[in-house]
Amino acid sequence: MNDFGAVLLALAALTLIKATPLIYAALGGVLSERSGVVNIGLEGILVAGAFTSVAVSFWTGMPIVGAAGGVIAGAALAAILAFAATRLGVDQIVAGTGLNIVALGGAAYGLVVIFGQPGASREVANLGRTGEAVLIVLAFVLAAALWYMLFRTPWGLRVRACGENPSAAETAGIDALRTRFWAVVTGGAIAALGGVYLSLAELDLYSDGMTAGRGFIALAAVIFGRWNPLGALGAALFFGFFAALQYTLQRSGIPSEIMQALPYLAALVALAGFAGRVRAPAADGIPYTP
Amino acid sequence: MPAWLRSRTTRDVLVALIVVFGVGSVAMLLAHASPIDGFSALFNGALGNTSEISETLVQTTALLFPALGIALAFRAGLFNIGAEGQLLLGGLAAGVLGAALPLPGIIIIPVALLAGATVGGLWGGLAGFLRARFGANEVIATLMLNVIAALLATYLVGGPLKEPGAGASETPSLAPSAWLPTILPDTRLTISFVIAIVLALALRYVFTRTVFGYELRAAGEAPEAARRAGINLSRTALTAMALSGAMAGLGGATIVMGVLHRFNTGLSPGYGFIAIAVALVGNLDPLFIIIAAFAFGILQSGAIAMQAEAHVPRDVVGIIEGLVIIALAGRRIVASRKTS
Repeated sequence: MNDFGAVLLALAALTLIKATPLIYAALGGVLSERSGVVNIGLEGILVAGAFTSVAVSFWTGMPIVGAAGGVIAGAALAAILAFAATRLGVDQIVAGTGLNIVALGGAAYGLVVIFGQPGASREVANLGRTGEAVLIVLAFVLAAALWYMLFRTPWGLRVRACGENPSAAETAGIDALRTRFWAVVTGGAIAALGGVYLSLAELDLYSDGMTAGRGFIALAAVIFGRWNPLGALGAALFFGFFAALQYTLQRSGIPSEIMQALPYLAALVALAGFAGRVRAPAADGIPYTP
Repeated sequence: MPAWLRSRTTRDVLVALIVVFGVGSVAMLLAHASPIDGFSALFNGALGNTSEISETLVQTTALLFPALGIALAFRAGLFNIGAEGQLLLGGLAAGVLGAALPLPGIIIIPVALLAGATVGGLWGGLAGFLRARFGANEVIATLMLNVIAALLATYLVGGPLKEPGAGASETPSLAPSAWLPTILPDTRLTISFVIAIVLALALRYVFTRTVFGYELRAAGEAPEAARRAGINLSRTALTAMALSGAMAGLGGATIVMGVLHRFNTGLSPGYGFIAIAVALVGNLDPLFIIIAAFAFGILQSGAIAMQAEAHVPRDVVGIIEGLVIIALAGRRIVASRKTS
């Protein structure tokens, strides 16, 4: 294979690696928002998944148990938001912001209490190359499955009904608050897999700031992908490609900050440009009180 | 039950106190520290002597500017989650001007402060413009602008603005004439504290006694009625976001000119986000926001002493602040999202 081919292949591989955590986080966001709950706390859920999976792998020596622990932590954090959003009727944006602060503070605190050092954990047993490959493939499978579930099953119709018009859904016999609660919790579990991938598959430790705003890029991918799991998958791959390109072009003289800013700029343009043509689920972000 | 005990504000303050002492105690116990030692180290470290109190007031000031801006936007029904980015770029503008222009303090101080407010206002106004012109959701827009601001600052400081003798993530030191004068000798407490208090009082006047304040509230609480009454909602959104950003930007400028004496990309440990809690605890009323900023200032400045003396990780404070935000998120549903 010639040099150019090798570069392209490396770029494609790196795109998959960079896109995978974004795919999980964006899918979690799509599920949550389709049910009518905006989840600004995706970044915090990535942190919870990344940190907890490393901590549990450290305790048990079993990375697969660690991964499960990360997923549970993500679901638990999302449950705080879900409870606040469905039972307390709070402003979801405010609560999601709090979620991010709690997770970042909690992980930094956990590093000191569990590993006895600030900044980064020790290296732990990770999921290995096989585990990494499984997580990459699973991201694609999950995107397809979530699309099917949301748009081709009665469960999906119920979730979407709660996101569009919860009182109409209630009239049709759907428990809107319950549906929203479980959509947000499940979304949190899915998004946490992105964090697990970052700390326990791509690497073998947790360090402060390792999620580096990926939860916010995922929010952009949700919008860019028009609240559709397959669209979000495409957007995450697109953003992952730019992240990969940035590594490949590191010595080209293009400042890496400009490459890093591209997904966010694209999201701003999408937000402004799509506003007329594409819309969020009608009741997205609006508390429902029966 | 007396009326003050039933009021929403009292209830919220009680909730906040329960979260602070309840969660704080649990987190301290888990870190094998006694909560009594932990909290006494925290409060001693924040309020023990004059220099510690002044350091707490430095933190109070840093939180007060963005919190006032967030409160203004909230009143108009807009959620400015981008104070962090506005604060950072405001600080950058002040840092660049203050280092580049060797002018006497009487000129450079107002100019650099104004530059900080202007740049912060432009950054906030950009989100307001996207909302007013294209209907773009300001929450997502300001989130994206936060990250872009951080990347922009890192790029500018490490690239085009790079000066020999400055670190990788900071600008050269400001000329001493651009340093804000201190109001207590041998402390870092400067006139920025006075400016922040005056700004809070002025805002209270604007909110309660002016047509503009009334329009903000009308746009926030009953946008449809406001529109029918002839209030230009697009213009209100743009103005509110620009003013909100200007206050955060001014805050960033005062950190650079009063505390660090140079711009550093790490100048804010999340002031723009903690300020959301400050604005909410303060019930969007500038007078109460001053008190809330002081309370959070105690947490911020006491955290280091708590870590040093009681061996409790200072990040406990972050957990507490986040939980206070979640617990109080119910107090304000942004009205514009209910109807748009």
